[in-house]
Amino acid sequence: MRHNKLDRMKRALMRSNTKLLLSAVMLFQALAMLLIAFQKGTVNAQALVLAAALPAGTWLITRLMGRVWPVDRAILILVLFLCSVGVITLSDIAKSDITPRTQAVYALGGVVAMFAGAAFIRRWRHWKKTTALLMGLCLLALASPFAPVIGIYKYGARNWVGLGPISVQPSEFMKPILILCLASGFSNRPRFARCVPTIAFAALCCGVLLAEKDLGAVLLYFLTTVFMYYVATSNAFISLAGLGMGAGAAVIAYRALPYVQDRVAIWQNPWIDPQETGYQLIQSLIAIGSGGLFGMGLGMGMPRDIPLYHSDFIFASITEEFGLIFAIGLLAVYVLIIMRGLIVAFNARTSFHSLAAFGLVIMLGLQTMLIAGGNTKLLPLSGVTLPLICYGGSSLVSTFFSMGLLLGLSSMNAEDEARDIETLELREEGTF
Amino acid sequence: MKELRRNMRFVGTLVVVLFVGLAAWFAMTVFTQGSVWASDVRNSRLRATASLRGDITDRDGNLLATTADDGTRQYTKNALARRALSQTVGDTAGMSGTGIETFYSATLLDISTSLVDRLSELMGNARHVGGSIQITVDGPLQAWIASEFPVNEDTGACYRGAVCVMNYKTGEILAMVSMPNYDPYDLAVRTDAQVEDTAYLNRCLQGLYTPGSVFKIVTLASAITNDVNVVDQAFSCSGEWDYEGGHIVCINRTAHGTVNLKTAFKRSCNVTFGKLAYQLGLERLRQTAERFGFNENFKFGDFVVYNSAFPTDISDMNGLVWAGIGQGKVLVTPLHMAMISSAIANGGVMMKPWLIQRVANSAGATTDTGAPVQYRQVVSASVADRIAEYMYETVRSGTASRAAIQGYTVCGKTGSAEVSDDKTVETNAWFTGFIRDDAHPYAISVVIEGGGAGARMPSELAAKALKKAIEYVG
Repeated sequence: MRHNKLDRMKRALMRSNTKLLLSAVMLFQALAMLLIAFQKGTVNAQALVLAAALPAGTWLITRLMGRVWPVDRAILILVLFLCSVGVITLSDIAKSDITPRTQAVYALGGVVAMFAGAAFIRRWRHWKKTTALLMGLCLLALASPFAPVIGIYKYGARNWVGLGPISVQPSEFMKPILILCLASGFSNRPRFARCVPTIAFAALCCGVLLAEKDLGAVLLYFLTTVFMYYVATSNAFISLAGLGMGAGAAVIAYRALPYVQDRVAIWQNPWIDPQETGYQLIQSLIAIGSGGLFGMGLGMGMPRDIPLYHSDFIFASITEEFGLIFAIGLLAVYVLIIMRGLIVAFNARTSFHSLAAFGLVIMLGLQTMLIAGGNTKLLPLSGVTLPLICYGGSSLVSTFFSMGLLLGLSSMNAEDEARDIETLELREEGTF
Repeated sequence: MKELRRNMRFVGTLVVVLFVGLAAWFAMTVFTQGSVWASDVRNSRLRATASLRGDITDRDGNLLATTADDGTRQYTKNALARRALSQTVGDTAGMSGTGIETFYSATLLDISTSLVDRLSELMGNARHVGGSIQITVDGPLQAWIASEFPVNEDTGACYRGAVCVMNYKTGEILAMVSMPNYDPYDLAVRTDAQVEDTAYLNRCLQGLYTPGSVFKIVTLASAITNDVNVVDQAFSCSGEWDYEGGHIVCINRTAHGTVNLKTAFKRSCNVTFGKLAYQLGLERLRQTAERFGFNENFKFGDFVVYNSAFPTDISDMNGLVWAGIGQGKVLVTPLHMAMISSAIANGGVMMKPWLIQRVANSAGATTDTGAPVQYRQVVSASVADRIAEYMYETVRSGTASRAAIQGYTVCGKTGSAEVSDDKTVETNAWFTGFIRDDAHPYAISVVIEGGGAGARMPSELAAKALKKAIEYVG
């Protein structure tokens, strides 16, 4: 009897009216995929299947996860929405049907990873003891592209690993692991001396990534570490010193590495070399300008003129097809996830859980800004992925895992809160 | 935990604020630059679109470009006018990069129409016609000026050069003549090689010329701004001046004797202005030049104009003296020179030049209109009035006497700019000035390449052009 009441209460706490949001997202998914299915002369069967599968999947996953744990459904639905925007855009712009199909399969894998992430964080109680092991594994994984046989050199960076038929990007998968290690190392308001091993670990990670020329990842790892250190210790001096050292390192990197100079030069003025180095960015801006406020319309634009239209420049492709207003709305969805995630961080009971939730959303935010800014010529292009939307398995599965961790944390908060309320009630009733 | 939450709130707010900044920047650049990006010649959507280009009209509504029923692009019937307007209007091949056809192709084709337009097109079956653009240029005036452009008697061909006329109170550009020009119809049938060399260039916007003596307006402004007593100072000119590290002469080595600033200006005395520049020093002269827009990245929005330059790396007296009379590394576009005269005419206030009077969407509804915008107070009103007075004297009894128009107060300054060190090439002849008249507030700049010293041709052309402007524009 009492157990039942507790159960109902914690569910009620987290259900907060998300039904309307869920319906809107499902409607969007179905209509967009139907449009793609019937747009050309022949019916696109795959799009037709997805028109049913996307809303059904969204509904099912929301129900299922909400039933298992009292997770924050708003975050969950928005995450699924972003993922479906990726599948829809790829169905629309990709050259072949294989690309969106592959992305949908990756998304399924991602959902599994999300459940795994939530289950993992709920069960992981001895973080202090296992952190060192996790750090070692993380470094090993990051360094694996250097290993013979399995290491792969791709797009000017040595950051891929081939495992039989599939190739993965360890720097993507290690993002949530890094955050967990940092959260554990920085928990309980440590003195600087006790943070040194954790900082050294983060610095090593950055060093390895730099050697792999994965500059976007270096930037993300570095900024996330600095922000997490700052919030955990309130030590503004060392945090600013860290930022300063990072800036110094950036200047050295700029001087020493010609491809960094190229990136910055393109960013400053892509029109100097419009046919070669500036081509990508100019085509991105042309696509964004052509889209205007309301976009060319789904299936109407020519985003394939942009090189890497489905990965690095998918934000520009989306802006061309859906328009400026939608693109800004998309950024707003990321902000909503970040804000809900910050609430999770505020409500967490231990500093470890709080820091973990904070790190996850900050990395999500930084990554989104880096790539959206890169597509729109606000920042130099750094080759990170647009979380949950950009084509690619490693990034998608890893981000889903991160969001799973966040959802797991939110469910723990809900349970704690329900327990508090129950305790209060019992006290009032005089049972205690 | 309390502190942790406080810090998280701070960093979280920071990230959200950065997002808002990103979105605002994104929206702003798309709003201001979007159509420019979309009009890029590398945009294959422009070629793929099924829609037809909208009309281009001049300030009185005369059709400069339109699309016929059969889908071909038609320009003004009169071949002379068509050629005179070629670089301003542009062509469908995008040869003149600054032309409206190229620079505004996304608007003219309307490639990203609104939802309502798209639905209405789905209902009807008509081919989509894009937006139309009305420009501030007076078509007949521009054609007339081009037809009056002097002919070089030695070669029998027209001189090369540019004329820019603008309204100094509003900043509207009334004419942008650039010689030589081309016929947009020829592009379809003839090869590129047969179009005259540099004809695609709009010299008003893309021609960087050594200003020579017309730059004395800026040197004079700097001198009076920094010390008003300079107007009473006596300068002595023996026709040439030897100084440490250099030598400067007046035209024909004319000795102007002891002169005050006004006389030196109206007779265009190089020695006095060289001394004046030396007296001012590089820093003060550079500051005034930069107030006037030199070394500035002009972003006017309606068109692209090359940046004028004033040297910042002068280390010796020689460079400074020559910069003071507009020689050396000083460079200016005809449009910018017209803007400088405009600022003097308009009480020291430089207006932002504009070309786009009205943009309408395919339904004919106005989506954008041009409006006068103050660019900057360049010099104080009293300094501007003093310079205007000197420029009036220059036309009344000085080097620019041929620019006078009966019944109007014309102010002006001539120039002849050396373009080679050994005088083997004829100097470029300049005139810039304006009419002092509230009903006809027109400023002009004329440059004739190889037009020779004395500036007879540009002064005469300016007088004729301004007279026509009064007649045509009203």
